[in-house]
Amino acid sequence: MNRRKIVKDVLWIFVTAGFVAGIVRFVRGLGATTNLNDATPWGFWIGFDVIAGVALAAGGFTLAATVYIFHLEKYRPVLRPAILTAFLGYIAVIVGLIADLGLPWNIWRPIINWQHHSALFEVAWCVMLYTSVLALEFLPALLEHPLFKSRVFQSIAHLLKLLTLPVVIVGITLSTLHQSSLGTLLLIMPYRVHELWYSPILPVLFFLSAVALGLMMVTLEGFFSAFVYRHQIKLELFSGLGKAAAVVLWILLFVRVGDLVLRGTLPGAIDGSWQSVLFLVEICISTLIPAILLSIPASRKSLQGLGTASVLTVFGTILHRLSASVIAVERPVGVSYFPSWVEFAISIGIISGIVLVFLFFTENLKIFGPETMHEEEKFSPYSKPRFDPLTKVWLGETFRDTVIRRSVALVVVVALAITFMPQRAWTADEVKPAPVMPVQGLNVLRIYGSDNTHFVDFDHKAEVERLEKLIPAEYPTEQDMCVSCHHMSNWELKEGTEPAAITATGSPSPGGPPSCRECHSDVYSPTSTFDHQFHVATVEPGGNQSCDKCHEGGHSASTAVQCVECHKNMGPNKDGQPFNYVAPSYEDAMHGLCIKCHEAEAERLNKPELASCATCHHQ
Amino acid sequence: MKPAILTDVTKCTGCEKCVEACVTVNNLGEYKPGREPHIQDLGDGLSARRWTAVVSKPGNHFVRKQCRHCLDPACVSACPVGAMQKTPEGPVVYDKAICMGCRYCMMACPFGIPRYDWDKAIPYVNKCTMCYTRLKAGKLPGCVEACPTKATIFGDRDELMAEAARRLKAEPSKYLPHIYGEHEVGGTSVLYISDIDLGFLNYKSTVSAEPPPERTWAVMQQVPTVAVGMTLLSGGLYWVIERRIRMARLKLEEARQRQAEQNKRAKGKEEKQ
Repeated sequence: MNRRKIVKDVLWIFVTAGFVAGIVRFVRGLGATTNLNDATPWGFWIGFDVIAGVALAAGGFTLAATVYIFHLEKYRPVLRPAILTAFLGYIAVIVGLIADLGLPWNIWRPIINWQHHSALFEVAWCVMLYTSVLALEFLPALLEHPLFKSRVFQSIAHLLKLLTLPVVIVGITLSTLHQSSLGTLLLIMPYRVHELWYSPILPVLFFLSAVALGLMMVTLEGFFSAFVYRHQIKLELFSGLGKAAAVVLWILLFVRVGDLVLRGTLPGAIDGSWQSVLFLVEICISTLIPAILLSIPASRKSLQGLGTASVLTVFGTILHRLSASVIAVERPVGVSYFPSWVEFAISIGIISGIVLVFLFFTENLKIFGPETMHEEEKFSPYSKPRFDPLTKVWLGETFRDTVIRRSVALVVVVALAITFMPQRAWTADEVKPAPVMPVQGLNVLRIYGSDNTHFVDFDHKAEVERLEKLIPAEYPTEQDMCVSCHHMSNWELKEGTEPAAITATGSPSPGGPPSCRECHSDVYSPTSTFDHQFHVATVEPGGNQSCDKCHEGGHSASTAVQCVECHKNMGPNKDGQPFNYVAPSYEDAMHGLCIKCHEAEAERLNKPELASCATCHHQ
Repeated sequence: MKPAILTDVTKCTGCEKCVEACVTVNNLGEYKPGREPHIQDLGDGLSARRWTAVVSKPGNHFVRKQCRHCLDPACVSACPVGAMQKTPEGPVVYDKAICMGCRYCMMACPFGIPRYDWDKAIPYVNKCTMCYTRLKAGKLPGCVEACPTKATIFGDRDELMAEAARRLKAEPSKYLPHIYGEHEVGGTSVLYISDIDLGFLNYKSTVSAEPPPERTWAVMQQVPTVAVGMTLLSGGLYWVIERRIRMARLKLEEARQRQAEQNKRAKGKEEKQ
């Protein structure tokens, strides 16, 4: 009794955590709460909740086939738990899918928007129909409850009983289709799924492993219920399932390895890459070891052997589905994926939720046959004694006690969830632009105008020191040195600011540093360098008398002679192109000064974007 | 006419005017040159706000990446609701009204083109539409119109193939002898000629000429067969096993009856004696 309480409380905590994570996921969106990215559109939710989840729920159709088609009546005691697990499993798949879909309110779309070329379309339809089939298969157990004793419900139950065989056959067909179609799903990605998992016969492999997994899942859940309720484990029954699973596993192993050999990809399995290690581990725990364990009669009939085999098959097959669809998928260099806290929380929450519902049904309906229970624990689930008939002592925990205990757990979990939620899940504007960094450290100017992650850190002090070393060779006076950078085009200096004042405040201007063009706009284009006042003063004989030296006719720019008339050495460049028509402009100077170095650095650092125009030109 | 785009990598100067035009004509937000470091970027510059991007490669090679508008597109085949559509003219477009956000198209695309609105609570798939609405209005795609060096040109696919072949023939030393998109994944509407290998545009450096949808369709075709076959198999097995059990039971019953009769007879004999 106590064990059941602890298990349920733990599950309840996981459900709460998952619920909180679910709210955050829908409020904040996928990008803020998951680690999914453009190279990993399918992550843990699709790989585990959906692709592995459907396989984990394969026990329903395998057991239905065992009992109804093959008439193996001795397995009837585990049929109902298997059907219930499968039904809840498919509900979990759908809930998981709702968490993953970007636009979950369109989940019904495949019903009217048909696209029969898509494997996912087929999976969607089969999952829809098979969930309904499972509901029909489970309904009789529900209708046995005294709550539904009215004639209407009983006539439905009678009808369902008549329909059992057709429903079971439809269920088997649907399961065969979509268990294999989950493999078909990956067929369209030959360039993304790793070659060790990609195969044209993926549908066959997925179907075979689903059958084996279904049988082992029924075994595992039998062990789990026995643990929770302290039932007796009917080893003989489960070892019979194990024997069938062993056959399927050996076929699966043979087909899988044979397929690798035929396609010539077997060397890839032993080349020492991480994918090959993953492959070997996966195939061992999903297929090879369970197949061996289940083939040896002694271990198949032992609790340990059977338990190990079922756990390995379950986890191994989950790993197989995850490897094929998420882990070993081709990604661009430098892009990786590991599920976020929210992704784990929602998946674990869903699983815990369906386990709780499973336990609820097993406690209130006739799911397990009475033969699996201990004598002293045998009870009719419909009429549990609330009070001890002799002493009138309350036997169970009150509903109020449960609510209080779980409320405490809930508060703790919500607090933990808020604490461990990724920071970006809470920040209001996740993709706000990074600010242009004016100053980093003390006097280091981060030139980051192009905002494209390529910046230049300008350390004023280091630059002064560098220049000082050149004194007096290049700069006879200190003023010459400052002016070499802070010349007339620097508007701060023009306003009369001392260079010292700039370094003291840390920033040369209040709104961050001006972009290059802001200072250098006065010399941007070639004609900008023309200083009319200067020419008026210096052209012989000077003053108004010198106008006609350059202007013929009216006094405007259009009547002026070309610069090259006087400045012969600034004429067209040697190719005769009018590019450097007049004096070198800021543009020319910058291009001449920067590009050479940028190109050299781009090549040296193997960062071609350094040499692209857009690195500097951003306005 | 089958609309297509031919990009001559040797002519691209990497000015990114095409990117600016794309952002402007498709209303993808404010255009800022360079990469957007804050939005998910796989290193190629494409994102939900950038439907085309210029990938720089060492040695001043610039390769414009965009949707290839495959002749047999994997995304269209993958989409379970038909939100990705191949228009009769050729461009592959996206209908966000019926999309359910499964992102199968993103997994299926051999070039990794579709990108997602990860930063939004109501996210859609984003990719180049070859400016389908502009084409219908008789205009050029934004990127082609903006290209100052005519590195990317628009026209009928057959004519562009001929033009590409002509350029390869005229200056064989300048180009690799391959028209990218001629055969890859069954042919694409966006073609490239280049002086560097463009394998980096795909998820794997080489792609076969087989369209990926054919791999799925080979199996999907079998669905009705499998459905009917499995139903008949299950039903048949049930019938056979049921009948065997019935016969066995009948035989058992008969044997028992015979035994009983024998016993009776024996008893009668005994009594007679």
